[in-house]
Amino acid sequence: MKMRNVTRRWTMAATLLLVSAIPQLAAASATREGSAQINYKILPSIKAQVVPNYQSSFGPTGGLGSGSTPAAGPSAVLGGGTVDFGNVVVGYEYLYKYAAQVSVQTNDASGFVVYGEGATDLNGSNPVPAPPTWPLQQTLFWLVSSAANTAFSPASAFNKTSGTPLGANGSNGINYGAGSPSPASQIWTNPGAGNVSQGYDYELRLSGSIPTSQFNVYIVYTVIGN
Amino acid sequence: MRRNIFALLALGVLAALTVVSQADALQAQKAYKEMTITITVTPSPAPTGGYVPAPPAAPAAAVALAAQLLADPYAGPARVAFAGPAWDVSPGGGLQVAQVSTQPTPVPVQFVAKADPNAAYLHIVPHTPSVNAGYGKTVFPCAFEIFTFYTNTYSLTDWGYGTLKTGATPYFPIENYPTISYLSWTVPDFSATVTPYNNSGPPGETTWTGAKNQSQQHCINLTLNVPNSQPAGLYTATVQYNLYVTLP
Repeated sequence: MKMRNVTRRWTMAATLLLVSAIPQLAAASATREGSAQINYKILPSIKAQVVPNYQSSFGPTGGLGSGSTPAAGPSAVLGGGTVDFGNVVVGYEYLYKYAAQVSVQTNDASGFVVYGEGATDLNGSNPVPAPPTWPLQQTLFWLVSSAANTAFSPASAFNKTSGTPLGANGSNGINYGAGSPSPASQIWTNPGAGNVSQGYDYELRLSGSIPTSQFNVYIVYTVIGN
Repeated sequence: MRRNIFALLALGVLAALTVVSQADALQAQKAYKEMTITITVTPSPAPTGGYVPAPPAAPAAAVALAAQLLADPYAGPARVAFAGPAWDVSPGGGLQVAQVSTQPTPVPVQFVAKADPNAAYLHIVPHTPSVNAGYGKTVFPCAFEIFTFYTNTYSLTDWGYGTLKTGATPYFPIENYPTISYLSWTVPDFSATVTPYNNSGPPGETTWTGAKNQSQQHCINLTLNVPNSQPAGLYTATVQYNLYVTLP
């Protein structure tokens, strides 16, 4: 009997609550004005492109004293292709103008760092020399593009990566795993957000002991937000 | 008599001119090469100095408490060290914030290295083409070697690439005449004399000479003196080596 009374009271209370809520539900459909504070965070994003042979007067110069005039190889095309020094003479220095342009678009106000390093050492292929590779670090150098650059302008060496090359000889890039490129491979630091570009020339210094062969390497650029 | 003297003088002048002319005609530059050294000047540790004020004296109560603890570390009440309620590093390792990164398509680079036809007469074997140098004097033993040979007598000369006695833009470290080069050379096989590189352009200075059919290869020691006024950074030194041969 007591139990039945309790149930009846609960049913009544629920009915009253429902009846009292109906006018409020009807009022909620009316337009009201007010202000609300919304906090949100835009995640930083970075996009980058690298364009080889990015300006019409690209190609090799130098070879002073070699007796031959350097010319870009057939794999070099404007706005793409390969940074192809063509035929070069052992023992001389060359400058490849407008070799690559790095463009970065980011909303990261802290800016970014660009690293550039070789996926491998220089790989000799035609004919295959012994040993088949040649140290990249003492052969290929980079410097920011400038009309005043010569084959003897100060330049920094490209380092061979400590990461894992992806694809044949690093044609698909470098896997750094949980790490990042070596600080010594840093080529550009930008302090803020924006859409920015920087062009690079390459220097080739062929020491007297490099074997005669065709050599190839992939230069991999990695952009990391600060 | 006077006519004979004039005739003899004229003959002498003519003979001298002929010798000079022949000497010039017999010299030829067989080959030349540039040797480039990349130099990274690293900053010196900055000398530190200044005044560090003495720390304020500890309150007397704290001194007494410390003395009591030292005298009897196990006296009560028991004390437990507590670093506060927040973890410096949460259990299970630190929180790593991922940095956004991207890797555009790699740039393929290639070249075909051809043999140097002049290598049989002049070539350079670099050993330390890139060096780091602090301020002051640094010696780089056998930075590179030079090989020379010719079928007649010859001489090897050098000068700083791009330098001129009549004036050229000076670049560290070789600079330009009349400033003395900060980079010097020695051929230890011949002498211990340290010579600043010639920076007046051609004809330069003689590095060594060679006899007919003499092949020789010697180390070049470099001495770099970085003055305190030179900013840290990346520099190159380029030296032009020239093989002048006596034509048969």
